[in-house]
Amino acid sequence: MGWSNKVRQSAVALAVLGLAGVLAFGAMDISSEAGYAGIGPNFLPWLVAAGLAVIAIFLGFEAQTGGFRDMPEAQADEVPPPGAPCWRGFAWMSGALLLNAALITSIGFILSCTLCFACAAHGLRQAQSGAPQSLGSWFSDLAVGLLIAAPVFWMFTKFLAISLPGLTRSGWL
Amino acid sequence: MDIFSQLLQGFATAGTPINLLWAFVGCALGTAVGVLPGIGPATAVAMLLPITSQVDATASMIFFAGIYYGAMYGGSTTSILLNTPGETASMVTAMEGNKMAKSGRAGAALATAAIGSFVAGTIATVMVTLFAPVVAEYAVRLGPPEYFCLMLLALTTVSAVLGQSTMRGLAALFVGLAIGLIGMDQITGQARYTGGVPELLDGVEIVLVAVGLFAVAEALHAVLFEGASSESQNKLSRVRMTGSDWRRSVPAWLRGTAIGAPFGCIPAGGTEIPTFLSYAVEKKLARGENLAEFGKQGAIEGVAGPEAANNATVTTALIPLLTLGIPVSNTTAILLGAFQNYGIQPGPQLFTTSASLVWALIASLYIGNVMLLVLNLPLVGLWVKLLKVPKPQLYAGILIFATVGAYGMRQSAFDLVLLYAIGVLGLVMRRFDFPTAPVVVGMILGPLAEAQLRNALSIGEGKWTVFLERPLSLGLLCVVLTVLVLPRLLKKRG
Repeated sequence: MGWSNKVRQSAVALAVLGLAGVLAFGAMDISSEAGYAGIGPNFLPWLVAAGLAVIAIFLGFEAQTGGFRDMPEAQADEVPPPGAPCWRGFAWMSGALLLNAALITSIGFILSCTLCFACAAHGLRQAQSGAPQSLGSWFSDLAVGLLIAAPVFWMFTKFLAISLPGLTRSGWL
Repeated sequence: MDIFSQLLQGFATAGTPINLLWAFVGCALGTAVGVLPGIGPATAVAMLLPITSQVDATASMIFFAGIYYGAMYGGSTTSILLNTPGETASMVTAMEGNKMAKSGRAGAALATAAIGSFVAGTIATVMVTLFAPVVAEYAVRLGPPEYFCLMLLALTTVSAVLGQSTMRGLAALFVGLAIGLIGMDQITGQARYTGGVPELLDGVEIVLVAVGLFAVAEALHAVLFEGASSESQNKLSRVRMTGSDWRRSVPAWLRGTAIGAPFGCIPAGGTEIPTFLSYAVEKKLARGENLAEFGKQGAIEGVAGPEAANNATVTTALIPLLTLGIPVSNTTAILLGAFQNYGIQPGPQLFTTSASLVWALIASLYIGNVMLLVLNLPLVGLWVKLLKVPKPQLYAGILIFATVGAYGMRQSAFDLVLLYAIGVLGLVMRRFDFPTAPVVVGMILGPLAEAQLRNALSIGEGKWTVFLERPLSLGLLCVVLTVLVLPRLLKKRG
C-alpha cells in the first residue's frame, strides 16, 4: 500500500461523491408530486444521491486511513500482483472498440468487427509478449476475425432476424 | 394431481422438435461459455437478449435456461483442469478438484462433478415442480409492503453479505440503483435523468450494462493486467469412477443438494455460501485416509458435495424468480430482464397467466439435465479442447459477440460507445475490488422495489409504520437487520 494507492483510492471515493452530486443536481428537477404515498418520483433519486454521498465519505476515510478494507491482496500468500499494466495494449483495445462504434454503420458489421477483432487481438498479443507484432500475425488476425464475424452476421440476421448493419443491401456483406 | 398434468403439458410443449433444439443449443452453448474463461452465463444470456424481439417467449426462455445451467456444468470442467477457476460458483470445486487433477485423477473429479450436478439438478427441479406452485399460491396474498421487504432483503444480501467489503458492495448497489433510475418513473410516468434524450425514456438497456461490466471489462482487464500470466493445464485422465469413488460421492451429492437447495429458495443470493458450507461439512465428516486427502491429493467428497450444492442452488433460485419476480443473482436478474422484454412480469400470477410457458420451462429443466449429462460425460474431451483457444483470439472474439448484443438491441452506434464506457467503469470496479453483481441486480430490482415501496406507502396512507404493522413485513425487516448486523458481530468475535 504505497502513496499512489492512497491517491488512487481517494480518486475513486471522489468519483463516487461526484456521481452523488450529479444525481442530486438532477433530482432537483424531478417533481415531488406525492399522491397518497407521501413520497413522489423524486424520493428515490434523493435517497440514492444521499446514500452515494455517505458511501463516498466512508470510502474516502478508508482510503486515507490505510486503504480500502478487506482487499483481496491483503490476504497473504496470494499470487503476487501482476507486473506493470500494459497501457499500449489497452490503447489498442480501446481503439478497436471505439473504431467499431464509429465505423459499424458505414462499412457494415462484418468489416467493422473484423477490424475490431484484429486490433483487439493485436493489443492482447502485445500485452503477452511486450514486443511489436509481425505483419503475418496481422493477416492471420484479420482472417480469423473475418471467419468469426461473417458467420455470426449471417446467423443473427438470417436465422434470428436481428438487424445488423451491412455494407451492401445484399444481406451477405 | 393437478401439478402432474400441468407438468405433462409442459413436457408436451418442451418436447416439440424445435423446442428440443433450442434446449440442446442452449445447453451446448452454456457448457461452452462455462468452460471458456472470461465469459459466463450472465454475459452469454445478456448478449443474446436481442433475440427476444424475434423468437417466441417459450423457446427463448428454454434456450436461456439451457445456457444458465449448462454453464454450471461447464464451469466445473475449467476449475478442475485449469489452475484458475472460471467463475465464483466453481471456486470451491477448484480447491479439491485441482488437487485431484494434479495427482492424476482429473477424470474421476470430472465424473463426480457431472453426475453430482445431474443428481442435484434433478432433485432440485423436482423441488421447483412441487414447491413453486405452492409458493405462488401463497405469494398472491402478499401485499406491496411484504414485496418491498423481500426485495430489500434480496438487495441487502446481494450487496452487503456477499463480497469482501460491505462498503464497496453498497457502493456498487447504489450505482446500480442510479442506473435503474434513468428512464420513466413507473408510477407517474415522469422522465428522470434522461437529459431530454428520447432513447433513454425506456431506461438503459440491461444488455449494455451486463455485457459492458462483464465481457468488455474482462477483456480490458486481460489486456491491461494479465498479459504475462500463464496458465498450466492439468492432464485429462479417463472419465470414470471406481466403486469407492461412488460410495464416497453419493452421500456427498445428497448432502450437497440438501445444503444447496434451501439457499436458492430464499432471496439470499449467490452460490458462495452453500458451496463453502458443503465443503466444510464434507471435510468435517471425512475420516481417516479420506480426511488426509483433503488439500493433499484432493478428496472426491470435496468436489462432489460443493458441485451438487452449486447446482441445487442455481436450480431452486428459479423459485423466487418465477413466483416472486425476485432475482438473487446476476444471471437470474438478466433472465428477469428477458421476461420483461416480452412484457411478462414474473410473480405469483405467472403460474396462471403464463402457465404453459412456466411448465414448459420447468419440463425443459428435466430434459436439459439429461442432455447435459450426455454432453459432459462422454464428450468432455471435446469441451476441454476449448481451453486451447489462445487468449488474444478468445477475448477479441468475445468483443464481436458483445457488439452483436449491444448493437442488435437498439441498432444504435452510440450504444457501442456507451458499452465501452461501461466497460471502463467495470475495469475500474474490478481493479479496486468492487463487486459487479449488485450493479446488475440493483439496476433491475431497483425500479420494481421503488414501485412496491410507493404502493405500500399509499396503502398506509403515507405512514411508514405500515411496514411495522404487518407481521410478515416486520419479520422480513428483522431478517434484513440480522443479515446486516450478524456477520459483523461474528467477525468481531472471530
